[in-house]
Amino acid sequence: MADKETVIGVETRVSGEIRGGEDLVVKGRVDGKIQLSHALTVEKGAVVQADVDVRSLVVSGTLVGNTVASESVRLLASARVVGDLASPRLIMEAGAAYRGRVDMGDIEAARAAVASRAAAKPAVGRTEVARESLAPSRVPPRVAAPPKTAVLAAKAAPRFVAPAGGEKSGETGPASPPAFPRVAGAVGAVAPPWAKKKVRRR
Amino acid sequence: MANTVIGSSIVVDGEISGEEPLVILGTVKGKVVAAGHVSVEAGATVEADIEGQNVTVGGKLTGNVTARERLELRPESKMIGNAKAPRIVVADGATFKGNVDMDV
Repeated sequence: MADKETVIGVETRVSGEIRGGEDLVVKGRVDGKIQLSHALTVEKGAVVQADVDVRSLVVSGTLVGNTVASESVRLLASARVVGDLASPRLIMEAGAAYRGRVDMGDIEAARAAVASRAAAKPAVGRTEVARESLAPSRVPPRVAAPPKTAVLAAKAAPRFVAPAGGEKSGETGPASPPAFPRVAGAVGAVAPPWAKKKVRRR
Repeated sequence: MANTVIGSSIVVDGEISGEEPLVILGTVKGKVVAAGHVSVEAGATVEADIEGQNVTVGGKLTGNVTARERLELRPESKMIGNAKAPRIVVADGATFKGNVDMDV
């Protein structure tokens, strides 16, 4: 901490708004908005999902959001950036991945555009915006998991369902039926091709 | 050395969560959830509920603190809010208003 500098560490996540008058280094994760009169550095491994308004920007990590930099933007080789960039200077190293629109002309117009978009968002609520922006990155793993369990359930379900229906339907009737249709329904919707194929193979 | 530092001229409006030491020199509004040490340094202004292992307050804090291990209010600190921690240290000169819950 020799110089004035703010660091968001590797294991730290900020969701909301960061603004101020000193350099900011993000090594962890920021979701929301970043507004600085100084430099922002998004380090390798860091993920920033935010609208950014800074003097200069250096990215070697991942940045998703619209950026206005009044001085310069530098995308290093390991940078992964999606979003519009507005800056009078742009340096992009070989290897940097970028998708978006670049405007090296009228920075003030770009800033106004970002500001007006940002002004429209808070009406929804900052936390909701933050949650929305979290959703895409968090959801995939959760979505990816169910199919596996569904497949497992497909393997297991036919064996369980048949005996339960035959032997205990009278006793456990009131409690269990609501549970089975759900499982059976999920299996039926997702996995019957798999289940059938495997049964046939065996 | 702290891994996350919120500098003196920085304002964070939202939630900070992490697994590493956090030092606040600037302004934080919202919520702080940390697995490690949280330090609100002299000159810092925090309007947030803080959760952490050890929490040290040297600046101005408005909000509830839950420390799993220890809460320390330094001499120059000013805290308004409820404090929940098994061990609480209040230094001479600290200003504090709120409930104390030491899980007795």
